[in-house]
Amino acid sequence: MLERANNLTHPQYRWRLVLGVGLLCGVLHAALLRRLDLGEWQPDVFSIAALYFSLYANRQGRYLPCLVLGLVRDFLSLGLLGSYAVLYSLLHKLASKARLRLDPDHFVNAAAMAFVGTFLVNFGYHAMLALSGDGIGWSRAAMRCLSMACASAPLAPFVFVLANHGLGRLGVQRLAGGYVNV
Amino acid sequence: MPRNSEKLNLSWFLRHPLVATCILLAMTVLLPFLRVGERVKLWALLPVAKAAGDEAQSPAEAELSEEERNLLELRRAREQAAALLDENNALRQALAQRSNQPQDLVSEFAQAPMPPAVDARVILKGDASSWRHSCVLNRGRKHGIKEGMPVACGRTLVGRTFMVDEGHCIVQLLTDPGFSAGCLMVGQGEAPLRVRGVLRGDGSARPHFPRLELEDVAVGERVEAGMKVLTNDFSGQYPLGLAVGEVREVIPQAGFLQVRIEAYLDLDALDVVQVLLHERPTLEQQAMQLLRKKK
Repeated sequence: MLERANNLTHPQYRWRLVLGVGLLCGVLHAALLRRLDLGEWQPDVFSIAALYFSLYANRQGRYLPCLVLGLVRDFLSLGLLGSYAVLYSLLHKLASKARLRLDPDHFVNAAAMAFVGTFLVNFGYHAMLALSGDGIGWSRAAMRCLSMACASAPLAPFVFVLANHGLGRLGVQRLAGGYVNV
Repeated sequence: MPRNSEKLNLSWFLRHPLVATCILLAMTVLLPFLRVGERVKLWALLPVAKAAGDEAQSPAEAELSEEERNLLELRRAREQAAALLDENNALRQALAQRSNQPQDLVSEFAQAPMPPAVDARVILKGDASSWRHSCVLNRGRKHGIKEGMPVACGRTLVGRTFMVDEGHCIVQLLTDPGFSAGCLMVGQGEAPLRVRGVLRGDGSARPHFPRLELEDVAVGERVEAGMKVLTNDFSGQYPLGLAVGEVREVIPQAGFLQVRIEAYLDLDALDVVQVLLHERPTLEQQAMQLLRKKK
């Protein structure tokens, strides 16, 4: 009841955050991560950001921010428009279900959810590539997705803590259940 | 109990993930045919490309005093001189890369005539997706570039133009999973070998040090490490003789050979490239060429 009442409050900084985070992640991926010699172990910061919105945002503000974040990634990449948008909207569904059982404020839970989420998003993207005839082979893709998930999982708890802290400093309200009013 | 009062409007659709997912999937299927998404994407990328390029807006000069105008002109002249110096250095590097091609390639392939080219500068490298590889060039349709034209650095294949705007274009690099090119593996020995294969980008995690694979190489073909890989003009998409790399490893699989090659290209060092004004011939043109060859 309290959460329902809180959720009705006007979301704060939602679209500014989504666009800012989307552009920042785009620049990180395009300019920084590809310059570091990480090989297959490249963290997927875009998916971690989408997962944060799925797990922590106001109940009314989880799906659309994820969708828009996916569209931002699609706009800044060569792939088909809508690929990441679809994957992030599905990620939001999965994360909402997982949140009912696991507390994302717990370090291990956050890392586990980031591992599974990043793996599924990237494997799903490869499935789309494979459907259009551009796949790189399922076993190889699975190994690559596992590497990316392994690199992303340890980052997620720190990103979540930093994001919560940053939003707190911005004056964003905390809602019942550990959600933030974005 | 269904809520009858809820209206079926746009926000209802957007609030229901499955419906929106279906709409997006339909868009994913339809948009490639209409090429709307690519145009919109190019439009979204252009501000970034323009910001990175040399197209800064000039201030309102009428409002400046003479001294300020002189200063502005001086600054412009300095910037122009610096840009020319940069361009000169980049062109020297490109020339050096061209002349550093492996000597073994000096054959009929290396001497094959190249189509006219447009020099272009890479103004933005990288892609927001870990799976895709692209870069933006500062030349576009007004310089004669069209979609699908090969992009090379010297005589080394870089990729192909994917989306073209008036003054910019996006290049799909040869490491992108959607990239493919017919290739020839050429052996230098007493009996020269020529084996066909198809180069496929693999979304390499190390685009600055790409290791690619050739597909559709039949078992029984004689492929050895050290053979040079060049583009083939069989399909007409690419001109004959653009260097791709060198065979490093051959792994026999069921029915075909998995050929791993080490690309010559250092994608991180790319600065100035050449867009080859080469278009894939139509079916009629290809048929006429075949007829001429038979005569």
